Amino acid sequence: MSLIMDIAVVALRVLMPLYAIVIVYQCYASMRRRRRPERPLVLLQNAETGEKIPVLFWENAIGRARGSDISVDDQTVSRNHCVLLRRKEGWFITDTGSKSGTYVNGEPVTERTQVMIDDVITIGSTDFIFRRGEEFHEELRSSWFFSKVVNKPSVQPYKIMILVSLFHVFMGVEATFCDDGKDFDPLILAGVMVAVEWVFFAVSYFALKRVAFEIESLCLFFTGIGVILLARQVLRSAYTQLIAAVIGMIVFCIVVKFIENPDRIGKWRLIIMIAAVGLLAVNLVFGKVTNGSNNWIHIGSITIQPSEFVKIAYIFVGASTLDRLQTKQNLIEFIIFSAVCVGALALMGDFGTALIFFAAFLLVSFTRSGDWKTLILALAGAGFAGFMVLNVKPYVRKRFEAWGHVWEQAQDMAYQQARTLTYIAAGGLFGVGIGNGCLKYLAASESDLVFGLMAEEMGFIIAVTIAVAVATLFIYARSVATRSRSTFYSISSCCAAGMLVVQMSLNVFGATDILPLTGVTFPFISAGGSSIIACWGLLAFIKAADERTYSKRIKERE
Amino acid sequence: MKRILQRSWLIFIVVIAFLIGMGYLVAETVFNASDWVDKPYNGHASGAGGLLDAGEITDRNGTVLAKTVDKERVYNEDEAVRRALLHVVGDNSLNISTAVQSQFRSHLTGYSFIWGMDMPKSFRDGRDVKLTVDAPTCKAAYNALSGYDSGACVVYNYNTGEILCQVSVKSYDPQAPPEITKENESEYEGVYLDNALSSTYTPGSIFKIVTAAAAIENIDDIWERTWDCEGREEIGGSDVTCVGVHGHVNLEEAFGDSCNIVFAELAVELGEDIMNKTAKRMGINASFSISGVPTVKGHYNVKDAETNYLAWSGVGQYDDKVNPMQMAILCGAIAREGKPMIPYLFKGASGSILTDMGISTKGSEGDALMSESTAKSLERLMRYAVVNDYGDDMFGGLTICAKTGTGETLTGSDTDKNDGWMIGYCTDDDVPLAFAAVVRGTDQYGYSTAGQVAKEAMLAAAESLRNSN
Repeated sequence: MSLIMDIAVVALRVLMPLYAIVIVYQCYASMRRRRRPERPLVLLQNAETGEKIPVLFWENAIGRARGSDISVDDQTVSRNHCVLLRRKEGWFITDTGSKSGTYVNGEPVTERTQVMIDDVITIGSTDFIFRRGEEFHEELRSSWFFSKVVNKPSVQPYKIMILVSLFHVFMGVEATFCDDGKDFDPLILAGVMVAVEWVFFAVSYFALKRVAFEIESLCLFFTGIGVILLARQVLRSAYTQLIAAVIGMIVFCIVVKFIENPDRIGKWRLIIMIAAVGLLAVNLVFGKVTNGSNNWIHIGSITIQPSEFVKIAYIFVGASTLDRLQTKQNLIEFIIFSAVCVGALALMGDFGTALIFFAAFLLVSFTRSGDWKTLILALAGAGFAGFMVLNVKPYVRKRFEAWGHVWEQAQDMAYQQARTLTYIAAGGLFGVGIGNGCLKYLAASESDLVFGLMAEEMGFIIAVTIAVAVATLFIYARSVATRSRSTFYSISSCCAAGMLVVQMSLNVFGATDILPLTGVTFPFISAGGSSIIACWGLLAFIKAADERTYSKRIKERE
Repeated sequence: MKRILQRSWLIFIVVIAFLIGMGYLVAETVFNASDWVDKPYNGHASGAGGLLDAGEITDRNGTVLAKTVDKERVYNEDEAVRRALLHVVGDNSLNISTAVQSQFRSHLTGYSFIWGMDMPKSFRDGRDVKLTVDAPTCKAAYNALSGYDSGACVVYNYNTGEILCQVSVKSYDPQAPPEITKENESEYEGVYLDNALSSTYTPGSIFKIVTAAAAIENIDDIWERTWDCEGREEIGGSDVTCVGVHGHVNLEEAFGDSCNIVFAELAVELGEDIMNKTAKRMGINASFSISGVPTVKGHYNVKDAETNYLAWSGVGQYDDKVNPMQMAILCGAIAREGKPMIPYLFKGASGSILTDMGISTKGSEGDALMSESTAKSLERLMRYAVVNDYGDDMFGGLTICAKTGTGETLTGSDTDKNDGWMIGYCTDDDVPLAFAAVVRGTDQYGYSTAGQVAKEAMLAAAESLRNSN
């Protein structure tokens, strides 16, 4: 009898990692499906030669520079001459400070001007006729992400959701029957989690009429794991986490809606910047020191971490539409804002988050300017700043010194890392079961050390799978970059994904002594209300980068 | 848009950096998880020091040394055996960190890389391990050692590497561990340390083996030379004293009589470079891994030492330090023409436990500690010492090559205490055993103190080997 039970337990243990891998795979695989093939949106036909130039993107830089989306070989054309862009209302052209000017049907373009089919656009001394995309008959080469996937039937979004929900139910069952399990609390928790998932799905599918739900499914999968892991630790925080996640999902919807019109964001930029700096200032003034850093403020019984929300603001400020990028090339404003953010975080002693902001800064500034010098200068500056920090902050230096010496300092500075490694080993490949772990008794195990907690209770395979799945968000963000409706989305999604991946890396490698411990959270999984709200907020930018997000679902005809 | 895409290759650097980090973490976990899991704070092992689920530990003949009966960890029924093997087997407290029960606790209770600490009960194969030690030999050694404050005895088979005896004092009964308080802590000082593996002692005259090896290899007419010993001689501004007045002696006689003057002169003549080089080659400053536990390193360094200190270093004084296990290995190397078998502790186990632990049940050959000819010459000297000095009948008819020594320890309060040594090996084909015994806390000579320990252990070990054949 006990043998049969053991075999059942073993089968469940072995199947759960496989199941997790299937879910992650299905989410990413369906992100590639239901994409339009590489076909020009419109055409520019050279009036003189008759040559047809395909216009592939929503925003196109036209100029003499070789990196332009439409490169015009004409000495009278400026390097970055003008931008041809598509909006809800149709196609527009904006002159971006060219020397010889841009004309539509002979009229000079001074501000954003709408172009209609068969209009004549004059750039330098070259005339182009604006044509429909259908008139282009040549084959175009697609990037790997969009090739050969067009005709594959996609998995219905609800099917992926069933997979995700079932996984969470299994987790609930496992936690209910853990070694010291005496009640059905985890099962109830899993039930509530599943209900939240389906409400979110219904809102997205029926109320907002969104086509795709893959990226949300993936992050619901992560969120549910984080929530149910808490079931046998502190049940109360599991529900707090769940409520925060719901707020996060609402923030997600608001942000997606807010950035629907990329041109409108320009007007809000200054306000957002001031709000962000204000938030950091409030934090600096009213913050209380906890664990060596004062990045928390207390309002009544609620504690929040303002720096988490500043992450969302930071991306608003960093990203920009293409015409604005070309007219306003200097980064001074953004650099100052970054310096204020990183400086404020350093003052709070939250060096982990400062590092995340810095990585995001590198990503944004380089994608915007392509400037090597800025990149190298910033890295050198950061190296210097890091050196200063080690000299000024003894707490940070002690942590740094413990790095790589876990076993010598296992009772001291490396107390957490040593236990994390031991319990990762104790978990084996398949884990000891949810609720049966020992790491859960350690402070910060549900946040800073959550990778270890996952590995111990759910197994090393699942923990690694989840980490890799988060990292893959970055690849996804880059793959859809040219399909975004504006460079605003390309930049913001890469930057948001970058923040999540860097944060996840710092969390995983800090807890396992590959890097010094910085005490940042694992995106979506770590317990922490502000953190999970911010993660869902950041996810909105990745969601918005997908051109399908803002096209309403039309009733399927099949 | 194209430009943004081109510049976003920066993303791949971040992703590749992450993947490298992750790959490193996975590799680290695969290779080291087995070490990470064996930590005293590991909460997955609980009750009786976390040993309730641990399997049986037996000696080479199947005698139970430790097992779990009715939710209690019980040890061998003979108290002397329990005390003798305390440092090898360990107790419930896990305070003796080098003991099998501490070092491999998680494995003994059912750890494996795949299942971690939670292997389903019906899937567990036995977690029983069989050690190479011989309980009666250890008991004999312990009984001879028990009167001393500090000491150790090691006997191992130099052909296979199996350790038959590894005993350390002070010891206590693991079945009734003492409560160590502020009042009695001086009485139990160093009790958690396995002196056989983790302590060093002043070698005294046994270090003359190293000095002799250096002389044999570097002085061509060493066998024709003679010296005159008048009991004391001024070397480098101060006197070097001898235990007696040995008169006109050659190398063999000097080694047999353990003449300080001759070996002090030799050390000075050879010089610091040759002495350092020889000591290093013979493994004095090295650590050996004994079934996963590293031995403490000995110490010999005369770089820039004054001439008088160089002289004293050649007879095992100055700041020379050696470890009992290391000395046994040195003797094993002499017996095996220079190349030692590295001793080991595990004879076998049920299931895959030893594989999981990364422990081999076969001895491995270590680096040569000396040339074949040097080994033969040292055998000649050590054999001469036994025949002419201690007498062959001391070891009940066994053919023994050995050297005794008395190291003066000048540390702290026990200035008049000595470290008495006897190290050597048996050349009989059916008793291929090397030994090292050391005791502290006496003003007598190594021959009469450590010699008795070595004798008791060797006689018991020889009997055990002959009985099992």
